[in-house]
Amino acid sequence: MTSTINLEEKALSSTIAKLSAPLTQAFDPRSSSESPLSATPTLNIQSQRLADFETLTAALEYAAGGNAGYNFYDAKGNLRSVLPYQTLRQNARVSAQRLLGLGLAYGDRIALIADTTPEFVELFFACRYAGLIPFAMPVPVNLGSHAVYVQQLRGMLEGGQASAALANVDYIGFLKEAAEGSQGLQWIGTPEQLGTLPVLDMPLRANHLDEIAYLQFTSGSTRTPRGVIITERALMSNLRGIVRNGLEIRPGDRCASWLPFYHDMGLVGMVMAPMVAQVSVDYLATRDFAIRPLQWLRLISRNRATVAFSQPFGLKLCTLRVRDSDLEDLDLSCWRAAGVGAEMIRPDTLRNFAEKFAPAGFDARAFLPCYGLAESTLAVTFSQVGKGFQSLRVDASTLVDKKLAVRVQAEGRKYSEFVNCGRPLPEHTVKVIDDAGQELPDLRVGSVLVQGSSIMTGYFNNPEDTLKTLKPGNWLDTGDLGFLFEGDLYVTGRRTDVIIVNGRNIRAQDIEELAEQQPEVRTREASAFGITDANDVTTIVLVIECRLTSITDRQSLTSRLQRLVYMAFGVNCLVELVPPHTLPRTSSGKLSRFAARQGFILRTTLTDQLSAESGDN
Amino acid sequence: MASDYPEILQKLCHHLKQLTGPDVEILPQTDLINQLAIDSVKLLNLIMEIEDEFDISVPINALADVQTVQELANLIHQIKSAKQ
Repeated sequence: MTSTINLEEKALSSTIAKLSAPLTQAFDPRSSSESPLSATPTLNIQSQRLADFETLTAALEYAAGGNAGYNFYDAKGNLRSVLPYQTLRQNARVSAQRLLGLGLAYGDRIALIADTTPEFVELFFACRYAGLIPFAMPVPVNLGSHAVYVQQLRGMLEGGQASAALANVDYIGFLKEAAEGSQGLQWIGTPEQLGTLPVLDMPLRANHLDEIAYLQFTSGSTRTPRGVIITERALMSNLRGIVRNGLEIRPGDRCASWLPFYHDMGLVGMVMAPMVAQVSVDYLATRDFAIRPLQWLRLISRNRATVAFSQPFGLKLCTLRVRDSDLEDLDLSCWRAAGVGAEMIRPDTLRNFAEKFAPAGFDARAFLPCYGLAESTLAVTFSQVGKGFQSLRVDASTLVDKKLAVRVQAEGRKYSEFVNCGRPLPEHTVKVIDDAGQELPDLRVGSVLVQGSSIMTGYFNNPEDTLKTLKPGNWLDTGDLGFLFEGDLYVTGRRTDVIIVNGRNIRAQDIEELAEQQPEVRTREASAFGITDANDVTTIVLVIECRLTSITDRQSLTSRLQRLVYMAFGVNCLVELVPPHTLPRTSSGKLSRFAARQGFILRTTLTDQLSAESGDN
Repeated sequence: MASDYPEILQKLCHHLKQLTGPDVEILPQTDLINQLAIDSVKLLNLIMEIEDEFDISVPINALADVQTVQELANLIHQIKSAKQ
């Protein structure tokens, strides 16, 4: 399949010979003493089964009969390790018997710092074979983030009530610090240390449908991280939807991914989904992608990957940082499903990417916008594969004043453009409701709710938040705002992001975008929210991460922003300039407006003057 | 060999200047985030240049303990020394 490159489409044939060369030949000479590795093949010897398994380990038992698997590449694009599903199964089963030797009980939680390594994947599956519940924790990403990171880990260890925790040598120091004083942890170590423990000769029980498969932490706020509970039943249902309906996986498919393993899109979408369909995956560590985004595209091009996902931010990095001179060596014509999700998708991000990479054979019809959240395992809706992205331009003021999406007819009207995220997966329903809980017709904007077979059981050990999020009838309140149109979902923002001033709905995102258009302000460094005082008067607050040091510059920015917000929305706003890295982010890098608001209240000690206005989550 | 500390510091400052512009004074104790305004995208570029210039790989876990120019230079020095 991968050899059928359409030569008529583009004059790419000259580069094909070079591109098809196995990556192992690109090994730098220093490593030539190592035994040469070769990546798992795209075409599998076994017949493809599309996620029709009861449990994750059952899926791995089947995949182990073929020759597909996971391949790990380094920053320079060299293949560093290969983990065929067959080896994964063997290693995971042995590790499971070592874990059982630690005296852990069935259903105990195991915390794993999730670097992009074969060891993490083996441990994750080892937990499942041992009847233990793994959860992935992030790696540190920011300069000088040591203390914040340790606190974040501690929050997760406590929130997930972990009985054991593992990290590789690079991160074990942080983990030990985070675990200091912990009561529940019985064992902490590296995969190598686990490897020295005796293998308990104990039969491994099969998992059942209703047991918890894993926890997924969603909140980056250090105080109250929330662990989403996903059962085997929910997981397998979602995986079936993804590989059959969302991606229409077929023989000849191959995935390439840089998404972190601690993120639901990385773990469910790019580790589990390929395995349950016996598809090979090529991985690049997130850090290596961020520093050299080109490497991801080179992997796709050279290994003829057909499926690769990214957040819009990742696409932006590619557009910004790949040099035009690098395009010559790329042939992205194999890429049939370029999944985009995990944050609001701006049409321009996709257009810019498509424009930049069209000369390298990227086909904009590959764009596959989707919508989902960890609380629904991963995916909720998918647009149609192979059709590219569709969008709708709606009148901006009607959207704010009437919560109604009206398509712009006349030129010159101010509009907001939203990307079509497609239809719900089978066994799932999406509805949009108003504040009173009434279901809304097409084009009316309200809260997006999801019902279906891949919804979480709740947040681990957190009945309060579970009750707030899972509504009667097991409708999951996503916290997102959007509308339906002809069966397709359009997400317009987060509900916490709507600020109601004098009865008008103002999208926080719009204010932030305004701020981000200023040369001094970068994307994802502005957060807007509403603060309501005791007299029920709401003020808009705009917090900006700012590097300016001169007082005049800071004042100029502050007053300009106030002026612009007043001009655009007719309301006053309070601008606070804070040092970089002050604004709280989720583990996937999204700004948390709710947490930003909490932080602002703390800083300004307005707490007692403010009414106990409740943020929704 | 570019592995002696003063040379590393000098080369590092050269790269930093290109990110910050010529008017900014860079001292060993200068804070990368607050004083030089190294945001995440600039940081990625900087790491890429450092890796290319010194032929090293900067581990992500080490950056969590880096805040100043000096600390970054030390880190590069350590990595280079460990390689030899």
